[in-house]
Amino acid sequence: MTERKDNRDDSFLPLDGQDDDALGLFFAAARAEPPQPGGDFLARIEAQALAEQPRSSAPKPVLPSRRPGRLAQLREALGGWVGVTGLATACAAGVLIGISSPDSLSVFWGGDAAGLGTLGVDPLSGFDLALMEG
Amino acid sequence: MPFEAMSAAADEDLLADYAAGDASAARVLTQRLAPRVFSHAMRMLGGDRAEAEDVAQEALLRLWRAAPGWRRGEAKVSTWLYRVTANLCIDRIRRRRGGTDLESVPEPVDEAPSAAEGLQQRARAEALQGALDTLPERQRQAVILRHIEGLPNPEIAEIMDIGPRAVESLVARGKRALEAALIGRRAELGYEDDD
Repeated sequence: MTERKDNRDDSFLPLDGQDDDALGLFFAAARAEPPQPGGDFLARIEAQALAEQPRSSAPKPVLPSRRPGRLAQLREALGGWVGVTGLATACAAGVLIGISSPDSLSVFWGGDAAGLGTLGVDPLSGFDLALMEG
Repeated sequence: MPFEAMSAAADEDLLADYAAGDASAARVLTQRLAPRVFSHAMRMLGGDRAEAEDVAQEALLRLWRAAPGWRRGEAKVSTWLYRVTANLCIDRIRRRRGGTDLESVPEPVDEAPSAAEGLQQRARAEALQGALDTLPERQRQAVILRHIEGLPNPEIAEIMDIGPRAVESLVARGKRALEAALIGRRAELGYEDDD
């Protein structure tokens, strides 16, 4: 069988001679005349691709008016760094008062003794109750 | 083949970009993939443009949705699309026929107008499509993938989820049926064979 020259696209076809048979010309004609989609079809496909596309996960550029993070927002609500520092100090003082024996705080109390004195144990104090147990 | 390897890698890269939200990747993928999916559907469905567009749109919709979970290196994008497209086409063909899976009785090929010089190629392509339409779907799919899409047997085997020997068998049977359907039209279509 003679080999026929045809206008097939050799960039994607196998290079063996499997097409040089009775059907070769028909297959070559089919390859040369691929059904073409219409422009409106391609536009629909593109629109669908964009509609289905996940939102971008690429790093976003830093913009001048960027929304502050939650910690920054909380800081601002508490009065900025000054407020936060004061709050931290107050918290630390509270902890110190809480763990100190009442009598030792009398110096700071400025009035009657901070401790219960002769009243004995604070009935609401679980620590004291625990100490009293045998 | 180097070209195919480059093309496959480019498809996967673009799909990854698409999944990451790159809108230009959506456009490039559409231009690269949609025409091939459409033409494969047209060939499988016997030239029904409306159905082929529906199938192509559905196949590509499944690809867009699969993109975020796409595992690189497992299957080529084109292989996956050929398989999905053909399966959708075969579903439609079987629904048309009432769901039977039997080999169809060959129908007479439509008479093409006599082939003038400049229309010989178009006439041959149309005659082949008419003959392809008479083949059972799996033979049709195998012949299209082998002799029109130009894919190697191992890839066709992956697309069709069968072994390479089964591909060869389907292609051989399909070609015999095509020859029988077209043999009487060679002179009319300007095909001159010297055997």
